[in-house]
Amino acid sequence: MEANKEQGLAEIRKKLKELLVINLNLEDIKPEEIKDDEILFGEGLGLDSLDAVEIVVLLQRNFNLDVKNMTEGKKIFYSVDTLARYILENSKK
Amino acid sequence: MVISGMGVISACGKNISETLNTFASGRRNGSKVTLLETKLKYPVFEVKGLSGSDGEAMRTLELAFAAVKQALEDSGLEDKLNDFRIGVCLGTTVASQLNDTDFYREYKNTGSAPLHSVERYLKGNLAEAVSGKIGASGLSCTVVNACSSGTDAIGVGLSWLRADLCDIVICGGADELNRVPLAGFGSLGVVSDSLCKPFDKERSGLNLGEGAGVIVIEKEEICRKRGKKAQIFLRGYGLAADAYHLTAPRPDGSGLEAALARAMDEAGIKPSQVVFVNAHGTATPDNDLVEGKVLSRVFGMGLKFLSTKGYTGHTLGAAGGIEAVFTAIGLREGWVPQSVGFEKADDVIGISPVTQKTVISGQYAISTSLAFGGNNSAIVIAKG
Amino acid sequence: MNIAGIGVVFNRGRGVQSLEKALEEGWVPPEDSTYSVPADTLKDKSVLKEMRRADDFSKMACLAAYDAFADSGLGDGVKSSLGIILASAFGPHVTTFRFLDEILDYGDANVSPTIFSHSVHNAAASYIALALGARGPTLTVTQFAYSFHQALIIAQAWLRERRCEYILVGSTDQCGTVMEYICRQKLRLAEDGKIKPFLFSQTPYAVPGEGSAFFLVTEGKTEKRYCSVLAQTVGTPDMYLLDSDGMAGDEKCYLKIAKGGIPVASYTPIFGSMLTVSSFSCAAAALMLKKQRHYASPVQDNPFGANICRLTEEKETESVACVRHNCGIERSQITLKR
Repeated sequence: MEANKEQGLAEIRKKLKELLVINLNLEDIKPEEIKDDEILFGEGLGLDSLDAVEIVVLLQRNFNLDVKNMTEGKKIFYSVDTLARYILENSKK
Repeated sequence: MVISGMGVISACGKNISETLNTFASGRRNGSKVTLLETKLKYPVFEVKGLSGSDGEAMRTLELAFAAVKQALEDSGLEDKLNDFRIGVCLGTTVASQLNDTDFYREYKNTGSAPLHSVERYLKGNLAEAVSGKIGASGLSCTVVNACSSGTDAIGVGLSWLRADLCDIVICGGADELNRVPLAGFGSLGVVSDSLCKPFDKERSGLNLGEGAGVIVIEKEEICRKRGKKAQIFLRGYGLAADAYHLTAPRPDGSGLEAALARAMDEAGIKPSQVVFVNAHGTATPDNDLVEGKVLSRVFGMGLKFLSTKGYTGHTLGAAGGIEAVFTAIGLREGWVPQSVGFEKADDVIGISPVTQKTVISGQYAISTSLAFGGNNSAIVIAKG
Repeated sequence: MNIAGIGVVFNRGRGVQSLEKALEEGWVPPEDSTYSVPADTLKDKSVLKEMRRADDFSKMACLAAYDAFADSGLGDGVKSSLGIILASAFGPHVTTFRFLDEILDYGDANVSPTIFSHSVHNAAASYIALALGARGPTLTVTQFAYSFHQALIIAQAWLRERRCEYILVGSTDQCGTVMEYICRQKLRLAEDGKIKPFLFSQTPYAVPGEGSAFFLVTEGKTEKRYCSVLAQTVGTPDMYLLDSDGMAGDEKCYLKIAKGGIPVASYTPIFGSMLTVSSFSCAAAALMLKKQRHYASPVQDNPFGANICRLTEEKETESVACVRHNCGIERSQITLKR
């Protein structure tokens, strides 16, 4: 079961990285160069508030998930990994 | 410069008199969207029963025509336009965009589409259309500075008069409720699901609205020559850029502070002489925090201020024009309404708007506008 | 006021050198049916480093404005008193249509906030302010054929009232596929790709173009000054530049100037048809005055025998007037003086 979960998480992380690069127009970085625990805002990828709301749309369109408010969003959007875990956990429901 | 005439139309009312009644009652005319079909359930502030619309001109133009008509009547200029060099400077967002969904849908699906909405757009440059309708022969210019367009159009009008390019300028702004900003601002997460609460601790975003606000400004000697009594004046204007971010305001508010400083400098006044401020106050977490802190820093904790967006919604390009009228009538009538929607103080902002109808006595007031993209504008209006 | 710096982004490249080269070379046919800005022209990792999300409209404006500032030789110290006025006939309509795509494909509740943010007319001016750190007044105006003229008038007024000491004033307009479709329906597109400015026709030929032209203007005289822009036009210029580009309707009205005997030229066949092509004509005029050089009109079909500029040569020139007519009714003129 754990192995399945890990595999699912890995697939989601891979897809997320591709979506982030394309949808946020990240230049000079390929999806495979983004670390699994890469911090999204501030340090790391250096995303900003406009990227945050774009990620909300990205989650809706690609994973059918709604983020209710940005306070909730702050924790979920901390890193690639936290975002992937959120997607995995909420996709099961 | 003299403000010799004013006109306004919004969800508050179709003219100044109706607006004052709404202000006095504290009534909020927000409702769900009826002007277009949408799944979005945000409350909005629509102008109900806009008369005189034949469907040919864009709704923004009809709103502008209504406000301009009032302003010209108020200024006594309706049949005297040929005697003067009349400039028209108006702000908008929606009317400047080629964004007709039906046209684009058909073009996208079939590769071609009838052009009547394009023709309407090409005849619909706001200032040009108003200038043509009233038969004005002076300069015309449409300002598209997002949410500060109306205030900035008034600023341009002031510049024209100072440069002696016009004798009289009709200026302000107009915008209609439209799917593009409704969907767009919604996607930015800045629109509230309930009626907006400007400067409130629990504010959760703006409500969109529509309307038009127009003032007629002219040099004192022209006004005197016309035999029109001068009571209300436009004394100063300031505009400054944040140069910070496309959608978020500069956290230290230095752009707004610079705009306020310039406007007061032009008016030759100190902050202590300002009796109230009609704030931009959109009820978004960011705007109200930045603006509130700047207002308390510049004017002190005792400042009387309000946001009228609790009554009108955020009317985008029209906001500056509508709020200029509201500021002028506040000074003229000697009172401002409660800043409706506000209930609980936000300690982080540190300053709160007026919570009831408030008597105003004094000479100077300010209206501020902060725009998407980081424009900050302020105008100083004076009585007597 | 004085023009202290110029920046252009257009079909033939970027910068004053590209403009000069294009004027020397003359007409070249468009690669497709429009004079569009090549994608490579909009690549600049240094100037556009904070603009990964920006659309082409904002990038064109930013590069042209940045170049105008750099061309002026003014240092960072002026930026607190640097204003920006951007004029556009149609704004970032390509992005507006992309946003309509979002609405049609995904519904009102599921659209891209990034695309929306760039569909507003003033996004480009905001990016210019960001790229340069300019904290002065920033304004975007739209008035179809007279957008640039209105911007110049406001620039002059701002400088006189000391609202700021320096202003980047210019125009930006795009031609996307929807606009091309509209042009095909409403205009007479030239099959051979040639705008013919001296036919003075009621239904003139057009070839849609796009680009951005910016000027750094100031009241004071600077070392790198090109010329001055006159607030009031008095007397007769040494040359008229005609903005006859097929975009603004009936061009018979230009005949009066053409028959007046003063030499005329038109460089619209190089830039393409744009309601804001006047800014490009101004850039050409400023270059002529600085270099004291006339450039041959790129397309010289001349059935009315107007006194057109046929040769590229050194020529002493005191003033050039750029004239734009709109639908045969209105006229606007910008006069530049050495």
